[in-house]
Amino acid sequence: MKFQSQKIAYWFFAAAMLLLVLQIVYGFIMGFARIGMDGLHDWIPFNTARATHTNLLVFWLLLGFMGSAYFIIPEEADRELMWPKLAWIQLGSFLLVGVVALIGYHVNWWEGRKFLEIPRPLDYLVVVNVLAFLANIGLTVWNGKRYTTTSIVLYFGLLAAALLYLPGMIDFDNQTLDSFYRWWVVHLWVEGVWELIMGALLCYLLIKLTGVDRELVEKWLYIIVGLTFLSGILGTGHHYYYIGAPRYWLMVGGIFSALEPLAFLGMAIYALAMAKKGGRRHPNKAALNWTLGSAIMSFVGAGFLGFAHTLPQVNLWTHGSLVTAMHGHLAFWGAYAMIVLAMVAYVLPIMTGRKLWDNAAAGFAFWLSNIGMVGMTGALAVAGITQVNLERRMGLDFLAVQKEIEVHFIGMLLAASLFLVGIVCFLWNFWRFGLPSDEAVNSDVRAAERDLSRIESTPAAS
Amino acid sequence: MLSKYQARAFFLGGTAVFAGIFLVLTFDTHRQIPKQTNADQITPQVAAGKKIWEANNCMGCHTLFGEGAYYAPELTKVVERRGKDWIKVFIKDPEAMFPGQRKMVKYDFTDEQIDQIIAFLDWCGKVDLNGFPAEPPLKKLMQPAADTASNAGGELPPAVAATIPLPAMFEQKSCTGCHRILGKGMPGVMLPNAVTGEVVPAPALDLVFQRKTREELIAWISDPQKIKPGSPMPNLVPALVSPQEVEQMVDFLLGLKAHAPAN
Ligand code: HEM
Ligand code: HEM
Ligand SMILES: [Fe+2]
Repeated sequence: MKFQSQKIAYWFFAAAMLLLVLQIVYGFIMGFARIGMDGLHDWIPFNTARATHTNLLVFWLLLGFMGSAYFIIPEEADRELMWPKLAWIQLGSFLLVGVVALIGYHVNWWEGRKFLEIPRPLDYLVVVNVLAFLANIGLTVWNGKRYTTTSIVLYFGLLAAALLYLPGMIDFDNQTLDSFYRWWVVHLWVEGVWELIMGALLCYLLIKLTGVDRELVEKWLYIIVGLTFLSGILGTGHHYYYIGAPRYWLMVGGIFSALEPLAFLGMAIYALAMAKKGGRRHPNKAALNWTLGSAIMSFVGAGFLGFAHTLPQVNLWTHGSLVTAMHGHLAFWGAYAMIVLAMVAYVLPIMTGRKLWDNAAAGFAFWLSNIGMVGMTGALAVAGITQVNLERRMGLDFLAVQKEIEVHFIGMLLAASLFLVGIVCFLWNFWRFGLPSDEAVNSDVRAAERDLSRIESTPAAS
Repeated sequence: MLSKYQARAFFLGGTAVFAGIFLVLTFDTHRQIPKQTNADQITPQVAAGKKIWEANNCMGCHTLFGEGAYYAPELTKVVERRGKDWIKVFIKDPEAMFPGQRKMVKYDFTDEQIDQIIAFLDWCGKVDLNGFPAEPPLKKLMQPAADTASNAGGELPPAVAATIPLPAMFEQKSCTGCHRILGKGMPGVMLPNAVTGEVVPAPALDLVFQRKTREELIAWISDPQKIKPGSPMPNLVPALVSPQEVEQMVDFLLGLKAHAPAN
């Protein structure tokens, strides 16, 4: 860590970790409701738990992205953040708006549109907040001593994410149009501009952790995000098959969304190839695990499991079933949760000057959370496929089928407990690192970093 | 091998081209949607229904057009499936109708609001969704099983059944949503008992006169939960069916005895 203002990232990450825990709590509330233990129904009905669960997810991921940007941008631009104080205000107000929204969901104040439940007045506050964030990092890049591909891709990913939030705020009386533009936010985020953010973070981490030549890493970053947009923009059509939009979307969405896994496959191959090529390994093994893990799990969750139900012939049966929830979990986990955790694992030793990167807790955190998440995905897959066959193909009643698949949610809850243990290990380490310190600049950690950057500045030995 | 400059050109060029195509298709979609969705039928009542749908986050449990949550049934075709009267009663007190089952929030909607929600769902049900939700293709194969299930009750021969007009109230009051009567309605819907978990068929009612007396039938329809706690048969009286209508129904069902083939 070269610059004082980078320290703000710690607090973004800390807030994100807190919200992650809350997200999991609400996940358990829903899981228990599904096996008939719905004692909280009168206070936290399922729709409240669900909106809270998914919004907390988006919320902590955004905090993670912002924290990462506040850490990376000054470093890449080689200067202090433009307005460090503004970053603090932005963090505080972002949390405040989020908490008000979450409380609102518990008193029936929301805008019931999946993933965009935040009530309209708060939407405007989010916009102002994000503008402050973008101005702050934007001017830091602009006034920086150097412009790097990584920082520019990261910046434009964040900017585009903010712009794409706006179509979700248009009002329509027609449910079809409402849904049409809701996907401009939801799909074009996770299968478009967020991939830009993920790609940039991945690229940054690979440069730092493997010591491979920056030029090479950044060139491939362009190819991968190029593939993302090439397939992902028209791939939006896979949400337009059955909502009352013209029939040609079946063709357009089917073909282009089927190509989307290529970008994720590219990301996985790219990460593994760079790690191999780098040869020399950074001592922070935990961060490297999370980085490579994210590249691989995003391919499995988003690429492979997304492809599994993206063709219109398949989606006709799986659309709006637990198969979707199965894919949603592993995709969000692999692509976005893991890349944020990778950033956290990378940044903490640098900020605090402590080398807690290769201990048992770090290993348990990585393996248990991943095994748990794969188990949850498996349970949802079995539940989802059974639901599709009994309800959609054999025509049995919805609730009768739900009774049949209840048992899989017991399995899901067991896997979720394993997942939770992994997350608790991660948080325990987070806690042990302590607060960011000024001495960290001269620590062994910095020395290790300097070692690697020397390699980085010479062309990669291949 | 590609240079970084070429890689960037690939990214920028590809993005521009495909974003352009996407915008053109969006424009065309806007042109076509009014017709495909019957936008001219979005009355103020339908629009108001959509507002209520959103203000209460119904999508947080249900799906509509296949979008939403997977905790409660898909509602696109619900008006066609259940009928307006049934929905009206159900929304007022979901638990009364399905005691012991997965819970739905009990809202204090006015009658006017409920009509608005139903108008909205009715409009949704008529949008051309390119074939979603599809007719279950294996239902036909399940037919023998379903027939056996409804035959738990037994049916009049189709030739006889076809000659007897079924009073409209059996369909209006949602009986045929679960039972088969005179060849009409769902064949043997299987539903779980909320207490025992046992899955039971809703029997066909043609031959119910063989199994139950007038008093038993009236007692059963008036309060199934009292007789068999947890039964999937909802409490429809008096909210949806008046005691008078119960008597009319029972009289009709017992009257079918006259049509039974002598043996
Ligand atoms: C990291 C990337 C991804 C994430 C986080 C993600 C997440 C999600 C989520 C949360 C949903 C449910 C959305 C809703 O109903 O509101 C969804 C739906 C869907 N996703 Fe993804 N996804 C990703 C990538 C992909 C890819 C690459 C594909 C295809 C190859 C894909 C195919 C689908 C399809 C077809 C649906 C619609 C399911 C339905 O009809 O119910 N996804 N995704
Ligand atoms: C202990 C852990 C968790 C449990 C028990 C859990 C459970 C659930 C349940 C029951 C649902 C609702 C499905 C429905 O509509 O019926 C849900 C939705 C969702 N959860 Fe989780 N969850 C957990 C952790 C996570 C994590 C860590 C992530 C992300 C990385 C996540 C992402 C999502 C998403 C994206 C949805 C919406 C899916 C869709 O609409 O298709 N969950 N979760
Ligand atoms: Fe998508």
